[in-house]
Amino acid sequence: MIIRNRTALRSLPIAPALAALALTLGLSAQDKVTVFRGAQVHPVAAAPIQNGVVVVAGGRIVAVGGADTKVPDGAQVVDCTGKFLTPGLVDAGTTLGVDGQDLNEQGEEVTPHLRVVDALDPKDPRLARARRGGVTTIQVNPGNRNVVGGLGAVIKTHGDTVAEMLVQDESGLRLTMGSEPSSGNRAIRGGTPVGIYYRRPTTRMGVVWEARKAFYDAMAYQEQKTVPEGDPENTGYDPGMEVLVRALRGEVTVRTTARAEQDIRTAIRLAEEFGYKTMVEEATEAWRVVDDLAAAGIPVLVAAPSQTAAPEGADVRYHTLNLLAQKDVPFAICTGADNIGMSLAREAMFAVRHGLPHDRALRAVTLDAARLIGVDDRVGALAPGLEADLVIWNGDPLSPTTKAEAVYIRGQEVTP
Amino acid sequence: MMTRFTRPLALAVTALVTPVAAQDLVAVRAGKVLTGTGATMENAVVLIENGRITAVGSDVEVPWNAKVVDATGKIVAPTYVLAHTPGGLSGGNEMMQNVPFLTVQDSIDPSSLFFEESLRNGIGTAHVIPGNATLIGGQGMVVRPFGKTVEDMTVVDRGGIKLSLASGRGASRMAQMRKLRNALDEAVRIRADLARKKEEFEAEKAAGAIPADKEFEEKADKLKQPIIDLLEQKITGYLYVPSAAEVPEVARMVEKYGVRLVLVLGPRCYKAADQLRELGLPIVLDENAIEYTERDAETGEETVVCQAKVLADAGIEFAVGVSESGRAAERYPWWQMATMVRHGVDPATAMRALTTVPARILGVDAQFGSIEVGKVANLQVLTGSPLAATTWVETVLLEGEVVYERSKDLRLQLLFGGSEGEK
Repeated sequence: MIIRNRTALRSLPIAPALAALALTLGLSAQDKVTVFRGAQVHPVAAAPIQNGVVVVAGGRIVAVGGADTKVPDGAQVVDCTGKFLTPGLVDAGTTLGVDGQDLNEQGEEVTPHLRVVDALDPKDPRLARARRGGVTTIQVNPGNRNVVGGLGAVIKTHGDTVAEMLVQDESGLRLTMGSEPSSGNRAIRGGTPVGIYYRRPTTRMGVVWEARKAFYDAMAYQEQKTVPEGDPENTGYDPGMEVLVRALRGEVTVRTTARAEQDIRTAIRLAEEFGYKTMVEEATEAWRVVDDLAAAGIPVLVAAPSQTAAPEGADVRYHTLNLLAQKDVPFAICTGADNIGMSLAREAMFAVRHGLPHDRALRAVTLDAARLIGVDDRVGALAPGLEADLVIWNGDPLSPTTKAEAVYIRGQEVTP
Repeated sequence: MMTRFTRPLALAVTALVTPVAAQDLVAVRAGKVLTGTGATMENAVVLIENGRITAVGSDVEVPWNAKVVDATGKIVAPTYVLAHTPGGLSGGNEMMQNVPFLTVQDSIDPSSLFFEESLRNGIGTAHVIPGNATLIGGQGMVVRPFGKTVEDMTVVDRGGIKLSLASGRGASRMAQMRKLRNALDEAVRIRADLARKKEEFEAEKAAGAIPADKEFEEKADKLKQPIIDLLEQKITGYLYVPSAAEVPEVARMVEKYGVRLVLVLGPRCYKAADQLRELGLPIVLDENAIEYTERDAETGEETVVCQAKVLADAGIEFAVGVSESGRAAERYPWWQMATMVRHGVDPATAMRALTTVPARILGVDAQFGSIEVGKVANLQVLTGSPLAATTWVETVLLEGEVVYERSKDLRLQLLFGGSEGEK
């Protein structure tokens, strides 16, 4: 596909719709001030407040403070006595909202131009499930079947349309190391190549080569772009290459799925080779590579600490998160690609069980997760100016006997 | 029924911990004792003689010659009892659908991770029985998760017989029910045939056609005998009921065949709570059946139903299972209990569902399920509340013997990065 006019691709009707939505939300909610009073407030970005007050107006947090926090007259008061109040949880790596069939485009193994946002289904019941567990913002990723799988998106877990849910329509470029992109592929041994499974790559070497080739092509493309338009040397606009070039420039984070030690090392090596910004996702064996990750300054997204087994035969260790914390490797906890029946709060609870301090675990599913996906200027904490995504829990959110009682997104109650 | 408590206690040996020589006298000094009967004792001592509890209380003195297990500042609770689990089997579901003659004795793998995990999680007694995917799956046995051989592990060598109303492998519910009735009807016929033959035999004997010293010796086919035992209530059927729709069939089975049943409920049974209460049969909630997400076929909307709460509200007592899979949170007793409590079941009921209720269902409540004088000393030392995620099982005693210590749990230490010999 070649589209000459770049803006044609970029200016999908999402942006205006968003603006219109903000307007309507703003208008309808501006006058209404809601005060959450009496809860043990965990702003995450600041110390917990006993008997705290959170003031919300126009879909945003206006004030967070103690019992004596000034509140405007006539505000609607939500009594949260005896409850816990936290920011809405942020799952920095999921496949929620997309049908399993739609995660992996198998026409090619390098598909940087694909956007998961085009496959989002606001009616996916798993979104309500996530919301029921206090999750309000998620990063949705394409699947791991391709070497370069495409662009992820950040969405809220509630909304009638994708436009309404959208936080970022393009967030992170999916790159997958290991055996997943080659699993199921068949080598052509003298036979006739029929069916999509007769495709490359078929080995780890092949997977890494496909990745490397993609970035080499992008570098060549970038050079070619310097040739003036109209010159026959200029072969025109390639949306996939554009995405890879943006990654090379550091404008898009490459999210490298790498579970086993060797794959994490490859992820680090490739990032160094091409100089792109990366984070390692589902990094089961990060505990084996923690010093290198720290040295390279690469953040880590750890999937599902409750699990004792992981794909690729990667060895699970309970102290992984504690190690990352000790070595100052930025990290977040997510539910990951294999997220059936999972709850993010429960995953953070397992992190605490395994020794991660409580406040750190809560941060790993709120502020630190938001930071990792670049939306911490909007969500992830309770602080003035941030969007009013919050959860009322009937106890400590990281206790197994607790459940989310009410969930708010942009100040609106959206409890399923 | 042969239980290990009719024999002298065997000295059990395992690879997990260094065996402690069985001492006659053991005293557990507890920060707090949760007896499992509802009572709580602060700073109490549990005294154990020859594997049995002889005294519990705050005023119990520790004899000078007792081996002391120090659990001061910690919580001592009875070990958990599983009324039904296919865990630890090398293949829990036979493909052939009518195999009452099979027994888990031939399939239990003592070195299975399931048993190791069970001990680590405070489970002291488990009724291991075939899974839910076979019509008549075979017989279970009650074991402790400790020992090198099935014999070492045996608590009750013949448990229940597994039956399932879950239609498997493309079969319809009609067919599944029909097949189960057929199997039972066949056993009824065999029994009747034998009775008739015996009657004829006795008549001929009375008439002098058969010598008077001869006895009627014909027996039923061994392969069918377990079902005849079921009809004669010599063995209990553990019937898997996948949904409320099968509950009426359960009532018919009980009425028609007079079988003794324990119901193992699947995730979609809560709508039959009233019928279940009327039936009054013992109930085990399967590992995945505590909480159920129901999807409305019309709107697609989902509702989370806690079956445990529904049953508790209906005044029905129940035991719960844990997952035998190492991948789910449901493998932890604390998670299972906390799930019930999260949905409003009171903590004591949640605890009973893994202690006294399953012990009663298995008919071993005189030995297990609570910390009381006269019972077998199966105890766990916990670092905190049994419902907290941060609590770990510190020590497990089975029959008064320390069989698990967290400080010596090599696998756990490995998982925490300790003693990591880079291989």
